[in-house]
Amino acid sequence: MGELSKDKIKKGLEVFANQKDSKLHAHLNACVHCGLCAESCIYYNAMPDEKFVPAKKVDLVASVYRRYKTLTGKTIPGLVGARKLDEATVNEMVDLLYGACTMCGRCNTHCSIGIDISFVVRTGRKLLTNMGYAPDALQSTINSALETGNNMGISETDFIETLEWLQEDLQMEVGNNAAKIPINETGKEVLYTLNPREPKFFPLSISAMAKIFYAANESWTISTKMYDVTNYAYYTGNEVESQIIVNRLFDEMQNLGAKKCVLAECGHGSRAFRWEGPNVIGKSYPFEVLTSVELIAGYIRDGRIKLDPEKIKDLVTIHDPCNLARSGGIVEEQRYIIKNAVTNFTEMTPSGIENLCCGGGGGQLAMSEYNERRIKIARIKAEQIQKTGAKIVATPCHNCVDQLTQINSTYKLGIQIKTIAEIVADALIID
Amino acid sequence: MATIQIENRTFEVDGDGFLASPNIWDKEVARLFAKYDGIDEMNEKHWAIINIIRSNYEEKGNAPMIRVICKETGLRLREVYELFPLGPARGACRVAGLPKPDGCV
Repeated sequence: MGELSKDKIKKGLEVFANQKDSKLHAHLNACVHCGLCAESCIYYNAMPDEKFVPAKKVDLVASVYRRYKTLTGKTIPGLVGARKLDEATVNEMVDLLYGACTMCGRCNTHCSIGIDISFVVRTGRKLLTNMGYAPDALQSTINSALETGNNMGISETDFIETLEWLQEDLQMEVGNNAAKIPINETGKEVLYTLNPREPKFFPLSISAMAKIFYAANESWTISTKMYDVTNYAYYTGNEVESQIIVNRLFDEMQNLGAKKCVLAECGHGSRAFRWEGPNVIGKSYPFEVLTSVELIAGYIRDGRIKLDPEKIKDLVTIHDPCNLARSGGIVEEQRYIIKNAVTNFTEMTPSGIENLCCGGGGGQLAMSEYNERRIKIARIKAEQIQKTGAKIVATPCHNCVDQLTQINSTYKLGIQIKTIAEIVADALIID
Repeated sequence: MATIQIENRTFEVDGDGFLASPNIWDKEVARLFAKYDGIDEMNEKHWAIINIIRSNYEEKGNAPMIRVICKETGLRLREVYELFPLGPARGACRVAGLPKPDGCV
């Protein structure tokens, strides 16, 4: 079997050293092989092969750890299931940790002893990234963000022209030429971020949010230098690159002196900046960070916007993004909003923190390599949606929107997929 | 490299079904790829979108902003999504023979 250079192996094994705390070591040594995680995994459910069981993915990382970091693994590797880091191991790790896990964390919640399985998977991904094995398409998305400031390589001119175009549209929509999409303004209450796919291809959600800000009479702005809410380096575990991206938004908040950083509807972006960000850059934020879902729920609660639920009569269901609901605990806000914005609402089963991943998380949508598998595992989500009988699926995550759009086409569901802001904008009463 | 077969022609594609060699693209390829996505008949509006995406790609090496697509074709945003249900990226750009754009698309 193919050997790897000592240098490469050394780089990979760095993930097991210099840990800030003992979490990794505890989680690598804790699995009791009870198998409860198996049924929680969309990959295992769609393709019942033992290799897709989450515990097996943990063991893949743990077996390398044992081989190089434990006495028994070094001396009697065969007896303790310790694996050498060679080409075969690397190929298997890439295939299972990158290609067969959305890091949705559903297995974490079912683990009988509470192992943070997606954290172990991310550590395994980091090991591979250190060795230069991060999948090309995923790395290219990160490179684009690092080189151009946003993951789709949109030029500042193109971005500004798009916002101006949307501003004209907003003025027509609300019938007021004073309605604005303010750019690069200092001292505002809110700095709003975007997923680059919005200005590039899907700007209805920007228009929707601008309309909501207008109705709430919010003091807000968008930065044309740093607006990208995504951070794909979170998925390759590259901390240096992840730090650069977090720091850019942190710095832009300081530059523009905004009070709140409001994150667009993006699961992993919210997680990477709001919840993981302070640890990634090693300092806490001197400003408030919240998701747009929390902001909109607050507007409704405080009476800052008024909605007419009669405007949307089709049955609506919610798809909970894993990073927001399961990892971030944002479950009630989207329900509170949707129940106020539409006439008929129904839940998927399961939902909330138990919801099933759409199959597009963990960077899967950016990795063409695993497209076929991604569409295959999505059958479970397609059936789950079909059972609700809903005509509209609302989800606060652009990545989920994209995967659901493909599911809609592949499995012929005949539904509409919308962000939360798009639904709220349709239900808004503009005085 | 994956392949897809449409009406007896075989194309090399990436994992997402985007044409592996954008330079072999022609109108017949567009027609076949559209058909594969369930668009049986390409109308004038479809072609207007494809032409602007293709010329932007040949000139600048990437997909145009949706604003440019709307401005150049005179179509409304929602019409573009109706014409290509998979959206401008996985729908229209794929039919226009471009490589898959980076990001959440």
